[in-house]
Amino acid sequence: MELSNKPSKGKLIASGIIPFVFLIIMVAYIFGPGSELLDLGVPLPEISMEKINFVDSEILVTVRNTGPIPVEIVMADVNDRIQPAAIEPDRFLERYETAVVRIPFDWNEAQPYLIGLTVGDGTRFEKEIEAAALALEPNFELVGFFAIIGIYVGIIPIMIGLLWLPFIKKIGKNKYHFFLALTAGLLLFLGIDSVEEALKVSEESLAGSFNGALLVATVIVLSFLGLYYSAEKLVKRAIGIGLHNFGEGLAIGAAVGLGSIAFSTFLIVGFALHNTTEGIAIAAPMSRGKTMIGKLAGLGMIAGAPAIFGAWVGGFVYSPFAAVVFLSIGAGAIFQVIITILRWIREEGDKNLSSAAVASGFAVGMLIMYLTSIFV
Amino acid sequence: MHLVKTMKGKMLLTLISGFIISIIYFSLPFLVIEATEEPKTFLTHSGAVIQTSGDVLDPLYVASTVEFDPMEYLREFNYGRVSQLPDGTTLREFTIIAEDDKVMEVSPGVFYNVWTFNGTVPGPTIRATEGDLVRINFINNGAKSHTMHFHGIHPAEMDGVFEPVGPGGGQFTYEFTAGPVGVHPYHCHVMPLEEHIVHGLYGVYIVDPKEGRPAADEMVMVLNGLDTDFDTENNFYAANTIPFYYQHHPIQINLNELIRVYVVNMVEFDPINNLHLHGTLYHYYPTGTDTVPSFYTDMITLSQTERGIMEFKYDYPGKYLFHAHKVEFSEKGWIGMFLVKENPDQKSQSGIEYGT
Repeated sequence: MELSNKPSKGKLIASGIIPFVFLIIMVAYIFGPGSELLDLGVPLPEISMEKINFVDSEILVTVRNTGPIPVEIVMADVNDRIQPAAIEPDRFLERYETAVVRIPFDWNEAQPYLIGLTVGDGTRFEKEIEAAALALEPNFELVGFFAIIGIYVGIIPIMIGLLWLPFIKKIGKNKYHFFLALTAGLLLFLGIDSVEEALKVSEESLAGSFNGALLVATVIVLSFLGLYYSAEKLVKRAIGIGLHNFGEGLAIGAAVGLGSIAFSTFLIVGFALHNTTEGIAIAAPMSRGKTMIGKLAGLGMIAGAPAIFGAWVGGFVYSPFAAVVFLSIGAGAIFQVIITILRWIREEGDKNLSSAAVASGFAVGMLIMYLTSIFV
Repeated sequence: MHLVKTMKGKMLLTLISGFIISIIYFSLPFLVIEATEEPKTFLTHSGAVIQTSGDVLDPLYVASTVEFDPMEYLREFNYGRVSQLPDGTTLREFTIIAEDDKVMEVSPGVFYNVWTFNGTVPGPTIRATEGDLVRINFINNGAKSHTMHFHGIHPAEMDGVFEPVGPGGGQFTYEFTAGPVGVHPYHCHVMPLEEHIVHGLYGVYIVDPKEGRPAADEMVMVLNGLDTDFDTENNFYAANTIPFYYQHHPIQINLNELIRVYVVNMVEFDPINNLHLHGTLYHYYPTGTDTVPSFYTDMITLSQTERGIMEFKYDYPGKYLFHAHKVEFSEKGWIGMFLVKENPDQKSQSGIEYGT
């Protein structure tokens, strides 16, 4: 039997909505007010200290309610000693709401501190700071400083990498496939690296209620799918690398912001070396088309410049949530680009993905990245 | 087809914008926060004045609206319902009710489940004279078994250890002759003992010598701690339960008047506690069992349930701190102040009235 070819629009909509209505009724019945069916266990308060800034004679703690119930922040302590403090805008936090706790305290530079906050039921939460350092105040000098670091880390190495273009242009098909596969290998490593970094940040600084690992997975898939449907392939790759570099910029900015000078120097040198390979990743697929210097430079900028923004954000307004999201978007973009490159090799290379050139290119790509990453 | 396409576009747009908004909300919270109220001020430990547009979090200077009044407890002695037995012995009868469901604001904003004798932590100060017959009608209105175990001399069956009193109205009558002279603790002795003690089931039991002690302004200080997050470490310490209370509300005493403090250490988890007095020294009678002081000092160390009597006078008026010289404890609330007044207040307590 065949359904009517022209069902009335009202019926169609109703048939789509009715199951939803039943679903809502069921959820309301089970979880709604007055329902005792699932009244099991005791919800416990949870707060997360997302950021701790040391300013002139004061410690500023950004705190978020990451538990299942509203909380009241009632007390602050430093090194487990109660201190008078203030909380702005107020001490009542709904779920996911944030506030800033101001603890007047004559802290000492480079000394470790334990910051504690107590909520209304007497539960105390604490966070350790390894070394106190004056929080960075955004001024032109610092903005410039971060921009220069971003250029060194992002733009210059990628431009250097792009200089391999003439070389790649002149080689044979097999070697070209080797370089394309090499690119895919490089990118796969970057993608895995981004995922690892995103998981690390979510583990260390993001509250459990954000479901860090699932947040990373969801954002990666969304970014992958989003880019899958969008247009220009090369721009996409540059964007993918750009988001990755944004993450690197964040890491550097945050390290400088936390005052770990040695670590930040290390990051800068390591990322700079590492990123020349990203230039190859952009150059290799382009080499068969007509070379347009302007476009090439533009792509280099798209890929490299986000390092500057990353450094600004990381240094001035670091947020673990934003870091996780950006790193995951970058990873999703990179994975999408890998698929595109592989498809391309397959189409060009007689439907063959298992040639010696491709396999060795992929392997060498991963190896190069691993070896340069040791510097970081 | 076109319709489908635009719907897809709309859905995508909605998704993306929702995503962006949530990122902004979670990563840039300061955009959502707006200042609203009049600025408030508070003082730091070093005296700096700080202004805030938000709320003050300060157990020191915020006037407590706590249910338990440490100032009232300080000088409140319970002598019981007094009657004479045929042989002339004084009988002192007390009714003590245990509960374990009360939630009390122990410090501004901090709510803690206290287990109480007669509704407070510490329980009422029970006072008798040596040789009196003490009879305690104990009623357990709690949800767990409780007892009353007195330190002192009494028959085994009055020890409150092997006769748990059942929940929901269980009763027991403790009866013993008051002795020895001194200051003693009483507490619940049901297992797990630590839990029953730290939740607040304890109080002070004073046995006066028959000949009495010299007239003095007398007070009781129970040194206790509160483990509000149940990690077997105290979050707060105090003299008489409420952290920082006597620092914010100094105990007023008179110049040159004899002050007698019955001090009992009920702190759990930490092996020792101590008491340092500023501006003068005190004669110290360990456990209060002797009439001759053992020390003249400004610092005593007290282990669990160790107690004694301090006697002192102030030669100069003004404010004087008393606190744990284990500074961690004082920075978590075990700190207070005496305000020594030059012009004696007629209303101040100037003698002991036994048997009231």
